[in-house]
Amino acid sequence: MMDHAIKLDGVRKKYRFFSLDNICLELPPGQIMGLIGPNGAGKSTTIRILMGLVHQDGGDVQVLGHRMPQEQVAAKWDIGFASDDMRLYEAMTLEWHMNLIRSIYPKWDAAYVQLLLKRFGLRADQRIKEFSHGQRVKATLLLVLARRPRLLILDEPTTGLDPVARHEILRELTGVMADEGRSILFSSHNTQDVEQISDQITFIDRGRIIDSMDKEVYLDRWRRLRLEVPAGIELPALPGIINVRQQGRLAIATANVFAPDLANAYENTGARVQSIETMTLEEIFVANVEHSREEVDA
Amino acid sequence: MKDSVVQTLILSDWNRHRFFIMLSIFGGVLALGLVAWGGELPTILGSTWFFVSLIVLGCMMPVSNVINERKKQTLPFLMSLPISVAQYTLAKIVSTFGMFLVPWLSLVVVGVLLIAGRQEIPDGVIPAVLILAGFTLVGFCVVAGVSIATESESWTIGATIALNSSYGFGWYVLIRNRELRTGFANADPVWSATVLTILLSEAAIVAVVLALTFFVQSRKRDFV
Amino acid sequence: MDGFVISQTDKRPIYLQIMEQIKRRVAVGDWAEGQSIPSIRQLAVDLSVSVITVKRAYLELEREGVIVTQQGKGSRVAPNPGLGLRLQEQELKKHLEQAIRLSAVLGLQPEELEGRLREASENIAAKESS
Repeated sequence: MMDHAIKLDGVRKKYRFFSLDNICLELPPGQIMGLIGPNGAGKSTTIRILMGLVHQDGGDVQVLGHRMPQEQVAAKWDIGFASDDMRLYEAMTLEWHMNLIRSIYPKWDAAYVQLLLKRFGLRADQRIKEFSHGQRVKATLLLVLARRPRLLILDEPTTGLDPVARHEILRELTGVMADEGRSILFSSHNTQDVEQISDQITFIDRGRIIDSMDKEVYLDRWRRLRLEVPAGIELPALPGIINVRQQGRLAIATANVFAPDLANAYENTGARVQSIETMTLEEIFVANVEHSREEVDA
Repeated sequence: MKDSVVQTLILSDWNRHRFFIMLSIFGGVLALGLVAWGGELPTILGSTWFFVSLIVLGCMMPVSNVINERKKQTLPFLMSLPISVAQYTLAKIVSTFGMFLVPWLSLVVVGVLLIAGRQEIPDGVIPAVLILAGFTLVGFCVVAGVSIATESESWTIGATIALNSSYGFGWYVLIRNRELRTGFANADPVWSATVLTILLSEAAIVAVVLALTFFVQSRKRDFV
Repeated sequence: MDGFVISQTDKRPIYLQIMEQIKRRVAVGDWAEGQSIPSIRQLAVDLSVSVITVKRAYLELEREGVIVTQQGKGSRVAPNPGLGLRLQEQELKKHLEQAIRLSAVLGLQPEELEGRLREASENIAAKESS
């Protein structure tokens, strides 16, 4: 078993109006990594570099132990890829596509395919052009899942889907994890999905990785502290606090490296800590992006 | 194992275009049928239609088989399969050329046989038919090469328009040559040095375009 | 997994929700002492949740003595007679702390809170006897 399913080291890529800079990330085998970031952050570019579809200007890319883009053919035997800007042949049926994939790849789980067709509510004899958007996304995913690839690389797999379809897909993706040797990297806007199924989270903004770590550890570092600040008291700047918003006597402090001492530190200045709340990934997302942009612009 | 993926892609392209190919062969045969019927108008209509269908096939095939992959966004799907850019290009070149050459060859052979079989049509026309069919072949190669190398719809359409406009001119230049004119009207085919030079040049251009296409494609870094 | 519900509107982290639901089953007796419980990976698949979240829930539960995990043998409910009571003690403590925090927001004094508590208990007694 190799060390990493995916390893990016110092990867960079320059376009006219955008550049990826010093991208480093590692995905251990048997885990799911969620890649989140605003539009235009570089998620799709990073994913294309992983697939060898875009050649990086510098840095190392290793996928399933293969160096990319040189060994992309070998790597792609074990990778299942789907992106939201990818389309199937409209005039052909889903079954035609299934036959195409089946004729190329040795591992095709026919029983699982039948189950997926039922779960996803798809008809194999239907033409792709007759599918709704959600059905098309599910069809593309079915073709990827049916081969049971060791690594799935998915660019926005649940974007634009209704809640039922999203639930179906999340169920299959987490189902992949029943096999310890399989891994998934997916990018998404949907922070709820990422929070729910990711083992690792990587945050990217404006071509740079802001954070990349274990999801539970990451969520645990962030807290929102609600403070009551008596008149005349000025709140000090504390390490681990990235943002304080105050209106009148009430303040909200956002911590990105929380420690219990922080609450004590505030109490020592005379402020009262009303509550300490955990934050959802969505709230962390917004706070993080704002904070990192302030830092860069400063 | 990799070669079988290339084969699979080629077959897949044929599979998707089979209706289109049959239609173009059928259209060409109908055109020849008109010529076989005889009479001045049917002959003119039929022969024009014959060459037009070859031209149309030559323009539509690269657009449908090459440009559409990018336009209809099926390219990422294909590139997610275990092939390299070079193998993809090879598959596209083979399938695109194959899907043109098969109808082209069939129609040219049927056309030549028709001329040889019919007394009313002087066999001297055969070299002319070959030269003109050669125009459409060269035209197709250039359009196909441009489409594969540039992946650009605008460039491909530009090449199509430029070439289509030049066929008439090319024919005009040929027909001004007295030697060729008399040869075409002859009862038996005249394989003069001029005719052979023209045919060989056409073949050479095809070879050069093919080589150039491969070369340009191998230099590409960002494919999708 | 029947009965397990991970709510996305519940603002508490998922691992806490899992812990609570497991503790409830143990406290009520649905999951008996020594009974085998789903492996981390299996529960993750059943709930459509990340493995690492279930892992954390199980680690915390083990720390609290609710479950026991053996390498290679999976996890089971811990053998402990006083467990049910202890769990409910923990729950009560948490609820009391929450009540105190809320009353602070409302600006209630401890005596007022006591009064409210008595009131509530009288109401429940009245409902149960009728």
